[in-house]
Amino acid sequence: MQTTPSHFFARSVLATSFALLTGGLALGADKLVIEAGRVITRAGHEIKDGVIVIENGRITKVGKQGEVDKPWDATVIGGPSFVAFPGFVEAQTSRGLDRPNENIDVAPFLDIRDSIDPINFAYEDYLRHGVTTLNVQQGGNCVIGGRGMIVRPVGMTVDEMAVRPDYALKLSASPKTGKSAATQSMALRRAFDELKKRLEKQVQDKKDGKARDKREAMFQGRELEGEKAKGRAMDGKGWRVDGLELVPRGELDEKDLQLLELVEGKRDAFVWCAAAMDVRKALDLAKQNGFLERTTLVLAGDCWKAADVVAASGRPAILVPPMLHVELDPLTGKEVETSVPKAFAEKGVKFAIASEGFGPTTPSQQVLWYQAALAVGQGLPRDKAIAAITTVPAEILGLADRVGSLEAGKDGNVLLLDGEPLSIRTHVEFVIIEGKTAYDRSKDIRAKHLLEGQEPRGTSPAGVDGASDAKPGSKQDALKKDEAAEKKAAEEQRKADEKKHYESSEERG
Amino acid sequence: MNDPTNNSRAIRSWLGHGALAACVLSSLALAGDKSWLIKAHKIHTAAGDTIEDGFLQVTDGRITAVAGVSMGGGGDMLEVAAVTPGLIDLSVRIDLGFDSVEQSTETPASLDVENGIDLWDPRFERELKSGVTTVVVSPPDRAVIGGWSLALKTGGPPTLEKRRVAPRVALRAAIGDEPSDGNRPAFGQPDSFYNRRPTTRMGVEWVLRKSFYDALAARKDAALATDETRAFEEVLAGKAPLFIAASTTQDIRTACFLQREFKLPRLIIDAAAEAWKDPQMVVQSGAAVVLPPFSFGGRGGVDGAFHAWNTAALLHERGLTIALSGHNSIERGDRLAVQPGLAMHGGLPFDAALAAVTINPARMAGIDGRVGSIATGKDADLVLWDGRPFEPSSRIVGVLLDGELIVDPRTQK
Repeated sequence: MQTTPSHFFARSVLATSFALLTGGLALGADKLVIEAGRVITRAGHEIKDGVIVIENGRITKVGKQGEVDKPWDATVIGGPSFVAFPGFVEAQTSRGLDRPNENIDVAPFLDIRDSIDPINFAYEDYLRHGVTTLNVQQGGNCVIGGRGMIVRPVGMTVDEMAVRPDYALKLSASPKTGKSAATQSMALRRAFDELKKRLEKQVQDKKDGKARDKREAMFQGRELEGEKAKGRAMDGKGWRVDGLELVPRGELDEKDLQLLELVEGKRDAFVWCAAAMDVRKALDLAKQNGFLERTTLVLAGDCWKAADVVAASGRPAILVPPMLHVELDPLTGKEVETSVPKAFAEKGVKFAIASEGFGPTTPSQQVLWYQAALAVGQGLPRDKAIAAITTVPAEILGLADRVGSLEAGKDGNVLLLDGEPLSIRTHVEFVIIEGKTAYDRSKDIRAKHLLEGQEPRGTSPAGVDGASDAKPGSKQDALKKDEAAEKKAAEEQRKADEKKHYESSEERG
Repeated sequence: MNDPTNNSRAIRSWLGHGALAACVLSSLALAGDKSWLIKAHKIHTAAGDTIEDGFLQVTDGRITAVAGVSMGGGGDMLEVAAVTPGLIDLSVRIDLGFDSVEQSTETPASLDVENGIDLWDPRFERELKSGVTTVVVSPPDRAVIGGWSLALKTGGPPTLEKRRVAPRVALRAAIGDEPSDGNRPAFGQPDSFYNRRPTTRMGVEWVLRKSFYDALAARKDAALATDETRAFEEVLAGKAPLFIAASTTQDIRTACFLQREFKLPRLIIDAAAEAWKDPQMVVQSGAAVVLPPFSFGGRGGVDGAFHAWNTAALLHERGLTIALSGHNSIERGDRLAVQPGLAMHGGLPFDAALAAVTINPARMAGIDGRVGSIATGKDADLVLWDGRPFEPSSRIVGVLLDGELIVDPRTQK
């Protein structure tokens, strides 16, 4: 494949930016002291002139300046102008994947780790906006989707990113493309009915002395040793298959194994509901098949009408943008607006706010803190909005002891902001992930491009033209032209700086 | 990405709110003869000052007093954190779609958009409830010249006479991909005269220039004058601005070249996302600029234009008159009321951000005699906030239009 010049430059910029973003991670010291004018440890808890000590990636001390012993050999960052805040937690997203949806209806044998693209812009964007932990799940366009994974938005490989691999299953109570509400429900029911039948058959085969499943497993190269060679009685709250202890778990195929874990309550489930009518279906399905206690509902705006049902179920929810639900009244033809987070808060539902929008994605979606700020502007108390992007998603993901707030013993995931959290005038200046600087705004060339209109070096038209003129094979020439382009850019930069200087001195004069 | 096919269900109707909508309807029908005394921690007048802990008197649809102490006038008291003038969106884009695009000619310069809008369109009320009290409606950009834009209030009695702030505030034109995009055949080359022209950017520019040349020719020879040349003459003479949609640098440049060539006294460039790339060129043209909604990713503008966050700040520093727009977004996070906040994120000072959604657009449309700032005698179009204006976390708790309380802060708990 031939690389076009523009691709080449885009790639070099990408590589540079990642070197900048991840370089810090590799070089960071084991001990880090963060000083800030304000340390907000969790919603509603604040320390003036605070200090956070992070050792080996974990927070060891949080307290007031002067009251906390700082290790003498630690790196110190921050200052009185900063506000330290826990890293944001994204409860669910399908951004940053190769393709977020699988065509096969029931595909729990798939693992999102094969779809995650570590250098996707999405992760860089998450970092830029202060998200330090995110649960990557496949999209909602499925019946039963693949397994998700909790990651941190740093690292060049999926393994480096992993916080918790092999995590929850994604299900959809709403019709996927090409299905109606009825066929979707049927497909969901059938998935579990067939699982039950297959398990029963496997038990019967074992009783009959048939070794077909063992032969099949060996043919597929699956291990049948250790734990996998053992059978275990089924442990299901919804339904049970007697005699499953006769079947070694290794003999179950990949699809059945994941679904069985769901039914046995050993795996979390995220169930997508696009409309209020789907909420009841989602809860019924989870209850009948024994995974209600491991279920988190992922809700679109319309579902506010089912807030009572969600509240009664006691299950947590994830609200996806838009935070303001708008629909047409059929009688008057007027638009009716409802604040979705407020509606759920009033019913006492525990919810997280997510940033990935439903329907056509608008420019302001995809930024987690902005969605939380919008929720405040629609009547959600500020502390609840902050909790909805920190402590609540941490609880939902089973990471309450690791992320979501700044306390001793937790992961050293800290944001340094230049102002009040959730304010539009505030920027994320530093992101510390597990004690290491993962993001520094002063080195973020793409933020400079976005915020200051400063195009990254090497992507200027001069640079691109210089490279495109090069004959294939004449590397030397291309290099010279690159040098010439760089010189020219530097000269232009110098002129611009001079001009700026001149202008500012004029202002002073 | 979640399943987009479910989207239609998201705006599925809900019966229970019929009563609420009826209430809004009946409140609109009331005459604005009530008096209000508004007490606010901060009154951002957009006329150059901010009054701390001030009072505002509204009588008979107009602002009758603004002061630092209570004027003791009659009327119910409303107490809020901040007040700004009603917001003004020059690029609201509420039209009838293709029903608002004239197909018989590329330059229907004598058409008025006021004959092609629906005052009952619920999108006007969406704007009103989110703080936008005056809008300029233009025809869609599918023809090189769309026709005459109209300034109108977003609420009040649904008649043109009552809602119109000013007719023919600008002649709408478009360059870029959009005016020629629909003219190409579905397949093959546009090599038949049954295709509408133009089909390229060059063609679009040619159509515009020809129109101005025709108008110049009509100056010399009255026999050549038509309704169209008379419309262009108004622009050439500076009686009305040319309101031209141009997003990318090359299109903004085309607009500036047109200004220079025909010495257009008043030019407004709409959706000028890439004005940051060559602000000097825009400064020299003397144009005012309307910026499209900001996007966290920068991209997403018309013709793939890249909209840097500091665009507003950069243009403001160079002395350009700028206005912001919300393009009638259904998403609250993209509406006009948060655009000044997003511009502040990119470095624009508060006062300039406030002006960019109030007095600047009012001046650009020539309607600043009635709206755009808080001053005695002006229309009582006001937005009441529960916190710092333009923050996404602030709430619009009250809206007054012509002195009438559309959103009541006393019921917004």
